[in-house]
Amino acid sequence: MATDARILPLARPSPRGIGRSLLLTLPIFIWSLLMMGFRPGAKFDPVSSIAAILTALFMTMLFFMMMRSRSTYRWRRIFFVSLGILFPIGFIHNLLVMRGTMGIPIEEMIAGRTPFCFMPIPLLILPAALTRTLVFPGSIGSASQGIAGMVGLWLALTLVMGKGWCSYACFFGGIEEGVAAIPSRAKIRKLDPRWRYLPWAVLLAMVLLSLALFEPAYCMWLCPFKAVSEYVAARNTIGLIQNIIFITLFAGLVVVLPFLTKKRTQCSWFCPFGAFQSIFNKISIFEMKIDQSRCKPCLLCQNACPNLSLSKESVARGETLLSCMKCGACVDVCPRQAVVWHIKGTQIAWKPERARLMFLYSAWALAIMFGGTIIAGGVYTILHFIV
Amino acid sequence: MKLRATLGYTAAAITILIALLTPFLLMGTFSKGVAALPLHVDEVYSGGPKVRTIPMGAYSIDVHRPVYTHFLQSEKPFVQLDWKPVSALPRHVSDVVDIDGDGQHGVRVSFDVPSDPKAPLLVNVESMNPRYQAMSNVGKDKFSRLIVRVDNAILVRVPLANP
Repeated sequence: MATDARILPLARPSPRGIGRSLLLTLPIFIWSLLMMGFRPGAKFDPVSSIAAILTALFMTMLFFMMMRSRSTYRWRRIFFVSLGILFPIGFIHNLLVMRGTMGIPIEEMIAGRTPFCFMPIPLLILPAALTRTLVFPGSIGSASQGIAGMVGLWLALTLVMGKGWCSYACFFGGIEEGVAAIPSRAKIRKLDPRWRYLPWAVLLAMVLLSLALFEPAYCMWLCPFKAVSEYVAARNTIGLIQNIIFITLFAGLVVVLPFLTKKRTQCSWFCPFGAFQSIFNKISIFEMKIDQSRCKPCLLCQNACPNLSLSKESVARGETLLSCMKCGACVDVCPRQAVVWHIKGTQIAWKPERARLMFLYSAWALAIMFGGTIIAGGVYTILHFIV
Repeated sequence: MKLRATLGYTAAAITILIALLTPFLLMGTFSKGVAALPLHVDEVYSGGPKVRTIPMGAYSIDVHRPVYTHFLQSEKPFVQLDWKPVSALPRHVSDVVDIDGDGQHGVRVSFDVPSDPKAPLLVNVESMNPRYQAMSNVGKDKFSRLIVRVDNAILVRVPLANP
């Protein structure tokens, strides 16, 4: 697709004016208040109201900074890391209050009260399609934690964001993104590109195993985030082995490797849900493009990508790989404004800020609705202990 | 090219609309749609549908349909029996249960009912029909052989010997 070199200046854009940034942020501020429960007739509880106000201000401030600075990644990362830290705080606190342990007792599984997260969604499809059976010890229609509730939420968010789920909605990825942000430079820089295929292999293996064993195989055996959410209560040797695997994978993929590589290694090398979610980038209208008339190529974007979603070949083709999660790191790091937000069907680099704004309004609105509510829950837990 | 761009922007605008409608309409609609699908939770977890209730005076025993396992599933086939309400159970239960409803004894199930709802439970099952396996001092080892307290019921799962 031909591009017009006059469309964007080569130099980095100057910050947007405060007044205009505030104006652009106003809808998000109103949305934040609405999503945090500030509606006419809503019940008033001082601690939860403070948590909600803090969260609404936090989400609004980050959006304001995105508007003002015209950069996305670092502000989104603050939200995402906060989500990754505050989700386990709120979730584990709830588990300890309700059942006194992070281990899922067999009674809770039989009663269908196992909270359902989004990770097993791809694993449930084949058994459901072939036998009409959901191989998960939860309930289908429970309002808050039911399988139908989470699948409905996932469907809506996926329609809007595609793989952007992994940057704006996943309540686990922030942990490793936070760890990856700690060192100033990566200790391990050369990463074999073939590792990118591993999540697809894990997805295929887990889907087939879930069908064969009739259990959510990834949740039962490989999910590193069991270490910070809930795990199979170690009733016997098998349970003990499962928990050792969870902790080892968490330590390796979520702590050690992100620290050494500055990449989200669990997401880019292992997560079957992430691989599954990549497919939905095909239906998402938003994507990243590289304007080849401007690209040198210096490959700064490839180095900055936390998910290994850019390769030399894809840069040469002017696009990201299917696994791109729209975090904006590549756009922000490019010194020539060659990497741009893009709406499919439009000319590359033609008003990319418009594409960015349209994506951010939809993604941030849902981030506030889903992640913001989780953050408010975590803040509430902390305030509950302080107050 | 202009048409494609117009379609692109229209789709982007619709995406924003979808995002705004999600908490008020779409999430609920999608969830209801998923809940309406003819799906059920695996009976290894849920215990299968109740087929019969045996009145035992102050309490009753619900007999569930036998649950058979799939493919390489690690659990064995079993049948679930529910004693409820817990508040009406004696300190020690020892009941002969006709699981098949054919007038023949199936199993004798014996367990203590501690007053502390969090106290561990142990069950003994004497097989009176070769279809059912005996169990001795079983707690909650596996989904297919266990005794657990769920809400106001005590559930016993007896493995089938010859599925």
